[in-house]
Amino acid sequence: MMPVLRVPGRVKPIPALLCAIPLLLGSSAATVERGVDAETGLRSWEWREAGVVLRLVQRLPDQTRAFFQARGFSGAASDRIADACIFQTIFRNESARPLGYSLDDWRVLHRGERTTLMTRERWDAGWQEGEASQAAQIALRWSLLPTRQHFEPGDYNWGMTGYGLPPGSAFDLELVLRLGEQPMMRTIDGIVCAPDREAN
Amino acid sequence: MRGLVVAALLVLFSLPAGAQQAGSGLTRLVDAPPAPDFSLLDMDGTVFRLSDHRGRVLIVNFWATWCPPCREEMPSMQRAWEQLREEGMLMIGINVGEDEDTIFQFTADYPVDFPLLMDSDSAVTGRWPVRGLPTTYVVDPAGRLVYQAIGSREWDDPALLELVRALR
Repeated sequence: MMPVLRVPGRVKPIPALLCAIPLLLGSSAATVERGVDAETGLRSWEWREAGVVLRLVQRLPDQTRAFFQARGFSGAASDRIADACIFQTIFRNESARPLGYSLDDWRVLHRGERTTLMTRERWDAGWQEGEASQAAQIALRWSLLPTRQHFEPGDYNWGMTGYGLPPGSAFDLELVLRLGEQPMMRTIDGIVCAPDREAN
Repeated sequence: MRGLVVAALLVLFSLPAGAQQAGSGLTRLVDAPPAPDFSLLDMDGTVFRLSDHRGRVLIVNFWATWCPPCREEMPSMQRAWEQLREEGMLMIGINVGEDEDTIFQFTADYPVDFPLLMDSDSAVTGRWPVRGLPTTYVVDPAGRLVYQAIGSREWDDPALLELVRALR
């Protein structure tokens, strides 16, 4: 069995500056910075270890709904995406080794259940006829974080990730990666889907 | 302790935000596979066929207007293009899945004058080894993919351009 590191969670948002200090001091241990954008109120989680950086930033359902409606999705289809707990995701390889992952291996832990992410392939397979034009599906496919990727040192991607949970849900995310020849399994605790605007 | 915190503050705020930082370097593709040929329309309605440009070094960038790192690297691509075109090299941007009006509006904010091609159904993108946007390839004069960059780059970085020029 692969070694599992439980990254300690912090219940309350901590200012990004204070969380960043260990990095500035050269710590190579895993860290999770939790932050809140002062303007938008959107929360973020940034996991760093051994030069690998995964940053998740909440997207409000309204933001996501507007983005996909503008790209040709019907209202109902846009709602389905918007209510699937979407995060803007930035995944960077700042290490000196190749980095690989498959989102199919990642797990969402919520209320005792382990589920999978809403990948490009899962969305593609889920549309009913007339619900999403070809152009709209192309926009969704390319705006999502790639399901599988191989990063050489210096590479990175932006993309949305979807966790298939209702707005406001809290969950833990189990990551599976390969850094060089080394498999890694890590868990980021206490991630929270953006609430619906009405819930604010 | 207060001094340490102040120093940390100064360092932190002088660092670029991690999420907005460009990537670095180019990855050499050891097997140098042939670049899949294509014909696409540019913004003027002219057909661009990749194989017509065999014998030149090409930078081929896959992008979309809604993609933040794609937007971020456009100015440096334009600056690189202004140098490379004088030296007989070519840069092209392949837009994935958007229409001409959207791209046209984008160029008002991000003026570039290298060819922007439209892969409206993303069929060409699907035949290249592209998984996320932006991804950029450098094609050598023999039509092989020799370098890859996933994520944005500072394309006018002299060290990066030197790698490109060395392919001539």
